[in-house]
Amino acid sequence: MSMSRPSRSAGNRHSSASTVAHPSPWLPVSMLIVVLLPLLLMPLTAVFIFAFRGGIGAFIAALLIPDAQFALRFSLLIAFATALLNGLIGTFAAYVLSRYRFPGQRPLNITVNLPVAIPTVVVGTSLLLLWGPIGLLGHWLDPLGLQPMFTPFGVLLAHLFVTFPYMLSTIKPLLDELETTYEEAAYTIGASRWQTFWYVTLPALRGGIFTGALLTFAHSLGEFGATVLVSGNLRLRTQTAPLYIFAQFEAGNIAAANAVAAVLAALSFVIFFFLLRYTGNGR
Amino acid sequence: MKYSILAPYLRNVIPLTLLSSLALYALWPWLPFTRQTIAPRTIVFYGFSILGSVMEQAIFPAFQSQWCAQTGEQVEFISSFAGSGTITNQIIMGVPAELALLSLELDALRLSEAGVIDANSWYALPQRGVINRTPFVILVRPGNPKGIHDFIDLTRPGIGVVHPDPLTSGGANWAIVAEYGAGARADPDRPEAGYDLLLGIWRNVVAQAASARSARTQFENGFGDALITYEQEALYDQARGRLQAEIIYPQRTILSEHTLVIIERHIAPAQRELIDAFVQFLWSEPAQRLFVEYGYRSVYEELNRANPQFGTIGDPFMIDDFGGWPQAKRDIVEGIWKDRVLQELER
Repeated sequence: MSMSRPSRSAGNRHSSASTVAHPSPWLPVSMLIVVLLPLLLMPLTAVFIFAFRGGIGAFIAALLIPDAQFALRFSLLIAFATALLNGLIGTFAAYVLSRYRFPGQRPLNITVNLPVAIPTVVVGTSLLLLWGPIGLLGHWLDPLGLQPMFTPFGVLLAHLFVTFPYMLSTIKPLLDELETTYEEAAYTIGASRWQTFWYVTLPALRGGIFTGALLTFAHSLGEFGATVLVSGNLRLRTQTAPLYIFAQFEAGNIAAANAVAAVLAALSFVIFFFLLRYTGNGR
Repeated sequence: MKYSILAPYLRNVIPLTLLSSLALYALWPWLPFTRQTIAPRTIVFYGFSILGSVMEQAIFPAFQSQWCAQTGEQVEFISSFAGSGTITNQIIMGVPAELALLSLELDALRLSEAGVIDANSWYALPQRGVINRTPFVILVRPGNPKGIHDFIDLTRPGIGVVHPDPLTSGGANWAIVAEYGAGARADPDRPEAGYDLLLGIWRNVVAQAASARSARTQFENGFGDALITYEQEALYDQARGRLQAEIIYPQRTILSEHTLVIIERHIAPAQRELIDAFVQFLWSEPAQRLFVEYGYRSVYEELNRANPQFGTIGDPFMIDDFGGWPQAKRDIVEGIWKDRVLQELER
């Protein structure tokens, strides 16, 4: 964070210099806004307009439905757990992939980034085909009474899978760029590998871990494709906020769906705001 | 840029406060001091899409108060509503459903083929597992601008029909037999009459939705000129003044029947008594009256007089008139709709 501040002001000076050289920005800017209006801005506004159409009282009433409350809480808990667990596993993965050289490193590197490219529905299907009662492992677990799918744990598994690359993609570049001389200096004065990681490497990664965790959290909050398959969509048990929105929308309860949708949208705005602040890309 | 001395603290305090209040909110019901001491007993119930309102607003609360009056125990319903085919697939994949109300018997047959329930186990229930019925009708735009009065009018060029997808929707399978049956019974001497009507209607299908409920949502959002759907759905909305359409009763149409299955392997011994009581309740007069109130036709014919909204159908028919579902699926849905109509339309 402290590193980014000087570079940010330097960037400002540079960009203000280059705007002077350009012709009037009004035409391209207004063209961009005309394009973005139906693409992004108007749909977002529609969610909020519909949410508050019946008045603030109806909006609050729709949010206070027990199913909606459960769905929001459940989504938040899963998002916290996903961010925490992937924070740990992702940091570890980034450290191993950046600091060690071993055969098969490249394929492994590609594999851990793969969830970005896999459709989430495929993730859900593959989890069911592994852990579900007719799945490869589930087939053996089911008689033992172990059934991870269609439980909160199944939802967590799906979210860990889908959001795995976010931690990695924010931390690994930092680790790759971090001068190994600091770590080497720590070793020369007798620090162990663990001490070096804890006192030298980790503090330098703080901003990256925070950004990665926020990205993971935000994505988990909105995850739909994999969740819909592995959760069983049970109200008060495994129904996340996006699933609730979808179910209510399908059932024609547009007001109930929109109230929760507006809350999710507002939450993601807040998260995005913090992401911009902490990464310094917002200016 | 100016920073006050407090700024660095504020920078961390605001996100941390936000984060911890979010976490507190999320955890609230599970905190030791907010937790309810007596956990209610639960029934896990899966149902096909249009059942959501009657079950959650009427049947579940009625049973909850009855059970509470008898035993003093609270019952909580953990439920999920989606297309009949979807919930059947979910149950085959292993969702912990104890009871499922399917929109057609074929889905029950699929469950028994997958080994989830015993073959024909629902025949042991009252009415061979059928809980209620509802005929298939046509919904058109207010004022009926296209002058649609029966299935045959849906075959005219320029009419857009919204139809659920037979792959995932039980309602869609009923609709196909309704369309075929209406044609076949109108002209019993001509073997191709059913096929012709079905082909004519499907030529005009403009949107296929995953469930009967989402087909309805598509129609409400302005797609098409006509929707083939359950009478119950239309009546339910009409009773609440929300129906933005007109109901057209075909001269000949099918009465769909909805089958209950009990997934024995998910029922713990301690649950037996509760589940049996609820199953019995579904066929009791109070429950059947609630179904009638919500626009379903009761399995007890005399109760249906209580709902004056039920329209008259000249020649209603049932799936048994086509030899039951296994035969109707093979001969009509697969043999005629899939192999001939879809081929002809090159879909």
